Amino acid sequence: MHEVSIAESLLDVAVDNCRQSGHTKITSIQVLIGKASGVMPEALLFAFDSMKEDTIAKDAVLDIVEVPLRGHCNECGKDFEVEDRYVLACPSCGGLQYTVSSGRELTIAEMEVE
Amino acid sequence: MKLKVTTNILTANEKIAEGNQKIFADAGVFVLNLMSSPGAGKTTLLEETIKRIRDRVKVGVIEGDIAGEDDALRIDALNVPVVQINTGGACHLDANMISSVLDDLPIGDLDLLVIENVGNLVCPAEFKLGEQMKVAVLSITEGHDKPLKYPVMFQESGALVINKIDLKPFLDVDVEKIRRDAVSLNPSIRIFEVSCKTGEGLDAWVAWLLTTIL
Repeated sequence: MHEVSIAESLLDVAVDNCRQSGHTKITSIQVLIGKASGVMPEALLFAFDSMKEDTIAKDAVLDIVEVPLRGHCNECGKDFEVEDRYVLACPSCGGLQYTVSSGRELTIAEMEVE
Repeated sequence: MKLKVTTNILTANEKIAEGNQKIFADAGVFVLNLMSSPGAGKTTLLEETIKRIRDRVKVGVIEGDIAGEDDALRIDALNVPVVQINTGGACHLDANMISSVLDDLPIGDLDLLVIENVGNLVCPAEFKLGEQMKVAVLSITEGHDKPLKYPVMFQESGALVINKIDLKPFLDVDVEKIRRDAVSLNPSIRIFEVSCKTGEGLDAWVAWLLTTIL
């Protein structure tokens, strides 16, 4: 359900950036959504499409790039990537001393404006 | 033309949260964001906690609910300053809602401000309010699979209160699994098993809370 608030924030940030660049129309927005961010891409897309109507982003296409959950194990030194939305231990050695390097993103990467 | 942006989508909320955090720091008040599913026992835990600490600590409360003021009335009955926020449908509190009610609380007089979030295991974890610590409450009737199903809440929390442990004999729940999964998700999380009904475990929780906020 919080995808509605996230879509609202996304539109605010995108519209601000578009205006600041001296443009008046957004045609596409690319966002990076981490797999461990807690956001469902389908729900975000649905919320975005229903909220963009009365804005300068009304014709904008939302391009969602899912970012996998990746990390580095400080015990065996290997990098890893997991399919799940969370990581409990290093998949190689089972170590608990790991650092997550990606997967929590909620970021606007780039947008096309006119 | 293409614009490179690289901006966090929740940047607006996070800026307001930083503003709230500064107000809290200047006032010297510790702020706790209490989160759980509906019915896990947040308000009851809060009532039982307030009763045990109010001689030593000045507490204020912000209650967040989609509708109604039942929770605020329960806190008000303990003579603790309380403000009710009704989100009118939103499934979580955000930093702006908190900022808009701060004038209604005697922030400067408080040692501890508890923000009771909307009952929901998903969304509240994503929105910073300006708190110093998040605390998750999970009641054992919800089942032992919850930490792995809703990892963000447990990753973000400094403490996990496992409530309703008086019901353990009647349930097939594996409390050890809850503990194990929560620690795997968040090795530094502090875990307390309590029953707000019988009072079991509340002393340990309250003692830890006092050393954390004072």
